[in-house]
Amino acid sequence: MKAAVNQKLTEMGERDRLKELLRAKLTECGWKDQMKAHCKEVIKQKGLEHVTVEDLVVEITPKGRALVPDSVKKELLHRIRAFLAQHTK
Amino acid sequence: MKMEDMPLSGPDNTKLESLVHDIYSELVEDACLGLCFEVHRAVKQGYFFLDETDQESMKEFEIVDQPGVDIFGQVYNQWKNKECECPNCKRLIAASRFAPHLEKCLGMGRNSSRIANRRLASNNNMSKSESDQEDNDDLNDNDWSYGAEKKAKKRKSDKNQNSPRRSKSMKHKNGELGTIVTSEPYKYNFNTGISYETLGPDEVRSLLTTQCGVISEHTKKMCTRSQRCPQHTDEQRRAVRVFLLGPSAPTLPDADPVVENDGFDIPDGQTLMSRLQWEDSSDISPTDSASSKASTNPSDSRRPKKKKRPSLGLNSGGGGGGGGGSSSLTGGSSSSQSNISLSTKKKRPKLSAPSIPSIYDDLN
Repeated sequence: MKAAVNQKLTEMGERDRLKELLRAKLTECGWKDQMKAHCKEVIKQKGLEHVTVEDLVVEITPKGRALVPDSVKKELLHRIRAFLAQHTK
Repeated sequence: MKMEDMPLSGPDNTKLESLVHDIYSELVEDACLGLCFEVHRAVKQGYFFLDETDQESMKEFEIVDQPGVDIFGQVYNQWKNKECECPNCKRLIAASRFAPHLEKCLGMGRNSSRIANRRLASNNNMSKSESDQEDNDDLNDNDWSYGAEKKAKKRKSDKNQNSPRRSKSMKHKNGELGTIVTSEPYKYNFNTGISYETLGPDEVRSLLTTQCGVISEHTKKMCTRSQRCPQHTDEQRRAVRVFLLGPSAPTLPDADPVVENDGFDIPDGQTLMSRLQWEDSSDISPTDSASSKASTNPSDSRRPKKKKRPSLGLNSGGGGGGGGGSSSLTGGSSSSQSNISLSTKKKRPKLSAPSIPSIYDDLN
């Protein structure tokens, strides 16, 4: 079922829409700037030349997940649920 | 975090919820990853740390918070009290007034040319304004003193300076009034009025036939407005003519009030015309040449105006009786009219008004 739902999400373009929505909201609320500042620290720590994508991912992702504001999270969940309700059953 | 209930059965519900959360997590991770790639590329390309300047430059552009100075450290009215020397007139001008002064000083720029044109025009107008009876009726009362004349000057120059009518009237006035204009330009320009004492009888007569001529009590000058000038009545005009030229004064060639005030002034018009008749006949027979000059002048000057109102029956052919319809003096007036039309016929070839004879052709 999960696969089917995912497929539907992608097919209908809803996934992309949700992605864009999330990005916009995160930038708007300052999440992106916060994360960038954190990146700078990591890079300064690791040294400018030797930073890899993996390093960044490992450092950033957990923090990023945690820093998403509640309002953004709620809205997204709401939209996903709405979509599912519409297109399943 | 609240769990919102869906209208679904229990176990499905939690599944659904977890599904929703899974999807959400996926989306968030996607966003994070996107950010990482962006930052990594910026680092590797070298533009990640560009917005951070070194301490030295930071100090240079710090926000200034002192009194008397803006946040950049610049003084506000630094140039207010400075004076500049004009390269043209070598005067010291305040900085904020420098540009307009230069415009006027050098004679370049829109404003200065406009002012100069206006001044020129009004100067021309001053010397010409004797003959400007049609256009400057209400604005050109030269009885006033010089100070008030400035206002009139401005309005005068606003009118069309190059209208054909103006030049036309100038053309055929030159013969009669040229002497007046040349002989007393200074007096006329400065005092904006005519002193009757200094004029000869011929000059006075010709003046009176074209202008109102009423002598103002306080300035002792003759009014240079048109025969229809609203400031003075016809009685006044007649009195002045009698005073200046004796009882056999030439015509008050004025059918115009009748033309304009058709509705309620007809009795006045009739008495006026009877008066005119009497004056006409007495004048024309003895001194035909002089009076024809005099009597045709107003008609000549009237013609351009009459062009405007061909529909109105009255014409001012010396006697004004040509209209016929609105007066009961057709019998008497036709004689004077024929006299005058003869004299006007004499004058016609000299005039440069080709369309005008047609009006009189109809009458005759």
